[in-house]
Amino acid sequence: MSLAIAGMGWITPLGGGVDAVWERLLQGDEAHAEKITEKFDDQAYTVFRVPDSALASLAPHPRLRRASLISRFAAAAGLAALEEAGVKLDPRNAERVALVFAISNGGVIYTKRFYRDIVESGAQSASPLFFPETVFNAPASHLAAILGITGATYTLVGDGAVGLLAIRMAEDLMANGALDYCLVVGAEEVDWLLCDAYHKWRLLRLEPPVEPFNEVARGMILSEGAGAVLLAREGLIKIESTHAGGYYRKRDEAEDVLKRILCDLIEAESGFVIASANGTFIDEAECRAISQVIPGAIVYTAKPALGESVGAGGLWQVIVGGQALRQGELPPLLHVTSKIPLRISASGSAAATARGAIVLSCGLNQQIAGLCLGVDR
Amino acid sequence: MSESTDASGKNGTARVAVVAAGVISPLGFGLGETLDSLRAARDCVTAVTRFSVAQCRCKTAGQVPDERLLAERRKCARPQRFHRAAHMMIRALAEALRQDAKFKPELTVIGTTSGGMSYGEDYFRSLHLHGDLRRSPTWIANYPAQKPVVDALDTFGIRAPCQVIANACASGTNAIGHAFECVRSGRYERVLSGGYDALSELVFVGFDSLQASTPEKCRPFDRDRTGMVLGEGAAILALENLDTARARGAPVLAEITGYGISTDNFHFTQPNPSGSGPRQAMEHALQSAHLSAHTVDYINAHGTATPFNDAAEGKAIGELFGRGVPVGSTKSMMGHSLGAAGAVEAIVCLLALQHQFLPPNINFHAPDEDADLNIVANESRPASLRTVLSNSFGFGGTNASLVMQKFEA
Repeated sequence: MSLAIAGMGWITPLGGGVDAVWERLLQGDEAHAEKITEKFDDQAYTVFRVPDSALASLAPHPRLRRASLISRFAAAAGLAALEEAGVKLDPRNAERVALVFAISNGGVIYTKRFYRDIVESGAQSASPLFFPETVFNAPASHLAAILGITGATYTLVGDGAVGLLAIRMAEDLMANGALDYCLVVGAEEVDWLLCDAYHKWRLLRLEPPVEPFNEVARGMILSEGAGAVLLAREGLIKIESTHAGGYYRKRDEAEDVLKRILCDLIEAESGFVIASANGTFIDEAECRAISQVIPGAIVYTAKPALGESVGAGGLWQVIVGGQALRQGELPPLLHVTSKIPLRISASGSAAATARGAIVLSCGLNQQIAGLCLGVDR
Repeated sequence: MSESTDASGKNGTARVAVVAAGVISPLGFGLGETLDSLRAARDCVTAVTRFSVAQCRCKTAGQVPDERLLAERRKCARPQRFHRAAHMMIRALAEALRQDAKFKPELTVIGTTSGGMSYGEDYFRSLHLHGDLRRSPTWIANYPAQKPVVDALDTFGIRAPCQVIANACASGTNAIGHAFECVRSGRYERVLSGGYDALSELVFVGFDSLQASTPEKCRPFDRDRTGMVLGEGAAILALENLDTARARGAPVLAEITGYGISTDNFHFTQPNPSGSGPRQAMEHALQSAHLSAHTVDYINAHGTATPFNDAAEGKAIGELFGRGVPVGSTKSMMGHSLGAAGAVEAIVCLLALQHQFLPPNINFHAPDEDADLNIVANESRPASLRTVLSNSFGFGGTNASLVMQKFEA
């Protein structure tokens, strides 16, 4: 079943708005790095944060009054996707729209705050205001309430592959003819605690740059934001096929799973690959799989510029792929310092003739997914 | 919404069979023990032992005993690192695969609310109190919600991709419902579905802070109900296109015939008092099953025993079904296992259909004047059941209903 992208919304550390962020990526910009600290530990970490200006146009809403940042990012991206598509929801059509939300770490800021009170002062001091925001589906619920969606709302949890798995789930839902649209949103917020966890897991580096496909995997930089894609039955950018995904047991199995997914997705017209390389062990697996299965494709990842936003990351990749097909151009891949067997995207790489792209997402905790985008030229 | 039609508007026609099932909950390890507990109306809620509840109003929960869970854990690669939620999933999946070893799913859809939350708690507590962090890589790697699912699949060599749905307390029913629609639409032939959740301090204290949990007995739909108690568990249902199941000689335990989902935007933690959200989910499930309300023989209610939930759900059931249909909440016996609840309660419905009885709603003393319901009070009883409906509602206004029917060739 073929679906299309009717609208996209993007909240990133390089600002908000698909065209504005895209322009900065084309210019080779990367997000401003910010140090974050925690009062009970001396270790500082670096993250890419969303600038306040990216949320400037988000109108106040009662549901967002106490909501965590992640919900604000999601609301801004979701509303932008609907606006770009020219879709206005009202009680008559709201039931014909589904919402699928992709998330990985969730509302970690309120979760930490809620549990910190328990650890420091006991259960009696736990705030009933914070607990609801710790629930994984809180951002999806707020967004559904803002948009007035009364039908299907799902929150999908997973690692960095969850964004593409959410689009697969949306495709399954759209098999139901009673739906006209499915809004897929991925969002994430950053916190010191997340950085510390990924650092102890040896996946985070303390300072930028993120060096994709490097011989030595020095680690990623975490970032925050949201991406939203409104799926419809018609549109310029098509979701030609989605893959149900897979998982790897051990890290050295990731390459084989990626190859299987690439082989299932590959089409003659796949001109470029939007990879998920982020400076960790997944880069080597992706590099080997892509170079063996689709050696002629140009490869790009936005993670050196935008960071690793985990739950939002897959949606960001789809937006990058869709925008590249729409504009016929790819941004330059930043900070590639090793000699690698891939055709990497250089400054102003032309994608004008590309009629298709593969988006590949290898998560850090065993999940892998992919999909194929296309455009009629 | 959940009427199964394809993009051209044509109805999805595949019948969906439950070919295997497995469960672990405070009611017991496996279908047999669960059936015994249901028939005996056993109260399986006990004093919390996993963490201190000294400062909480509520002191009890439905718990899966660790000594038995971990003593019987399977010999797998790194079982000592697995979260206990993974061990519960492994137990439930093992039971299902014993019934149908040839079941090879193309997809796994599992519901949860908090994944391996207690490992996150261990990590934060050690970090904050400058304690021993040597186990932190294990805690961090096994904390994510998909990890217990992947651990369970991997234990049995199943390589199907997994979708993990976190729709709060409706997660389990949403997972089974979505799996049902995937098979009914013809996009998949076999989907493994279910739900899991393990008790955690953060969640326990959270519900306590909201005063949603009770220091007393859990009394769903009772006039004097004072709130919920939490629980834990895991349940698996293997769903398959009925034709392919029969072609390969697989057992057919029951059919899932309808699923409804709705989103109630009234308030994040409270349902609309009108019951409109639950009613919409139940109506959609009946439409999806092509059934009218009077054909339903039993409703396994969400029935948390909070004043707000039971009032809204009771109103919706009363308006849609009238007083005739027997209604009960088995959470009264085992607590509310959150993301597992919908899946465990689907197993309860399956057992009720197979063994033709009504599972009890225990601790019921006085009917609520505002909800005129036919409660299956305190004891199980024999009944002729063909069609049952299971409800799950959650934070965020997510509502889900499932219709299950006795298999008739």
